[in-house]
Amino acid sequence: MDELIFIEQEVLPALMRGLRVSLLLIVPSAACGLVIGFLAGALRVYGNRWIKALTSGYVIIFRGFPLVVQLFIWYFGLPHIGIYLSPYAASVIGFALCSGAYHSEYVRGAFLSIKRGQRLAAQAIGFSTFGMIMHIILPQAFRRALPGCGNELIYLIKYSSLAYMITCIELTGEGKVIASETFKYTEIFFIVGLVYLLLTSVAGFLLHRLENSLRLPGFNHYRL
Amino acid sequence: MAQKKEVLRVKNLTKKYAQKEVLKDASFSVDHGEIKVLIGPSGAGKSTLLQCTNFLVIPDRGRIWLEDREILYTKKKELHEYRQKVGMIFQDFNLFDHLTALGNVEIGLVRVKKMNKQEARERAVAELERVGLRDHVAKYPAQLSGGQKQRVSIARALAMDPSVMLLDEPTSALDPELISEVLAVIRALGEEGMTMIIATHQIGFASDLASEIIFMEDGAIVEAGPPAKILSQAECARTREFCAKLTSLY
Repeated sequence: MDELIFIEQEVLPALMRGLRVSLLLIVPSAACGLVIGFLAGALRVYGNRWIKALTSGYVIIFRGFPLVVQLFIWYFGLPHIGIYLSPYAASVIGFALCSGAYHSEYVRGAFLSIKRGQRLAAQAIGFSTFGMIMHIILPQAFRRALPGCGNELIYLIKYSSLAYMITCIELTGEGKVIASETFKYTEIFFIVGLVYLLLTSVAGFLLHRLENSLRLPGFNHYRL
Repeated sequence: MAQKKEVLRVKNLTKKYAQKEVLKDASFSVDHGEIKVLIGPSGAGKSTLLQCTNFLVIPDRGRIWLEDREILYTKKKELHEYRQKVGMIFQDFNLFDHLTALGNVEIGLVRVKKMNKQEARERAVAELERVGLRDHVAKYPAQLSGGQKQRVSIARALAMDPSVMLLDEPTSALDPELISEVLAVIRALGEEGMTMIIATHQIGFASDLASEIIFMEDGAIVEAGPPAKILSQAECARTREFCAKLTSLY
C-alpha cells in the first residue's frame, strides 16, 4: 500500500513534469530535424560540387561525433567563445542537427531511387530544377523516405533522454533524481522505460497511419 | 497552299560521351505540319538527337532555332519556355508515378504555365478525352495498360500547346495490340496538322505518314528523302540493307 501511495504522490507528478519537458524537446527537434534532413538530402543529390561537399561534411561530422559529445560542445564548449545556450536550447539544437544528419541519408537514398525518366519528363514540359524537385521528385521521395525517417524519429524519442546530461531535466532526469533519493532504481527506471515505450508505440502507430494514408496504387511496396 | 513555314531548325548538333561521338554534325529542319521519321539501328543516335533537340542532353556543339528564333539554352528562362513548346514522348512513357492520369496532364498547366486550377482541369480532361481516355482520368499509372500510359503522356505533352512534338520510339515498349491504339492517336494528330519528329521501327506507319524519312547510323544522318525513295531505292547501300530488313520484319 505504501508503495502505491509513494508512486502516486511522489513518482507520478515528477514523471509527468519530466514527460512534459521530454515532449517539449522531442517535438521541435523532430520537426527541425526533418526539415534539415530533407534540405541536406536534396542538396547532397542536386547541389553542385561545393554544396555536395559541404553538406556531406555536415553529415560526416554530426553522424560521427557521439551525441553526448555534441551536446557537451553545445552546452559546455560554446561559452568559451562567448555563446551561452540554455540547457533546453542546447539540447534541441543538438538533437535537431544530429537527427537531420541521419534523416538526410534516408532522404538521399529516396531521391536516388526515383527513376531518371521522372526527371526527364518534368524537364521536358518546362519545369525548372526547383519546381521539378518540389512537385515531381519530392512527393515521391517523401513516400520512399518515410519508413527510414520514422525509424529515426523513434530513435530520437529515446536519445532525448541524453538531455539530462547537460542539466535539462526531462523524463529520465526526473527519474534519476527520485531514484537516487529513494534508492528504488529498479521500480523507477522500469516505469520510466514504460513511458518511453508508450511514446514510441504511439509514434509508431501514427507513422504507420501516415504511411497508409499516403499509399498510392503501385507506387510503394505492395502489401503482402 | 500557303508558303511552308519552318518550325524547327537544328544545325550541326554534336555530342560526345567520353571519347565516343554519339552524334556527329546532325542537321535537319521541319516545316509546319510536316512529319519526319527517324530510322536507324539501335545506338545510331536517334534518341540522343531527339534529347539534344530539347536540351535534355546538352549538346557539345550545334545551334537550334524555333520559329526563326535561336534558342540560347544557357538562359534558364528561355530554355524552360522552349521546352514547353517542344513536346516530348518517351519510349517508356515516364508518367509521374504519384499522380493520376488527370494529375499528370494537369500539373504542367498549373505549375509551369501557372494556369488556374479550374481552367487547367477542364483543359486536362479535354486532352485526355482527345486520346480516348475520358473514363480513366482518375487512375494511377500503375493501373493503366502500356498503351493507355503512352496516350496519357501524349495528352500531357499536348496540354502544353507544343509547336512541335518529338516522339522517341513511342511504341517500342508495347505489345502489338497496344501499338495500334497509340499509332491511331499519333495518326490523328498528324491529320490535325501537328508537326512531329518520330523515331520508330514501325516502317509501314512511317511511310504512310512521313513526308521525309531520315536514316541515321553511328551518330550521323546518312540519308534523308521521301519514304518511297528511302525505302526502295536509297542511294546509300547501308540504308538499302537496313530498310530491306525493316520491311521484311514489319
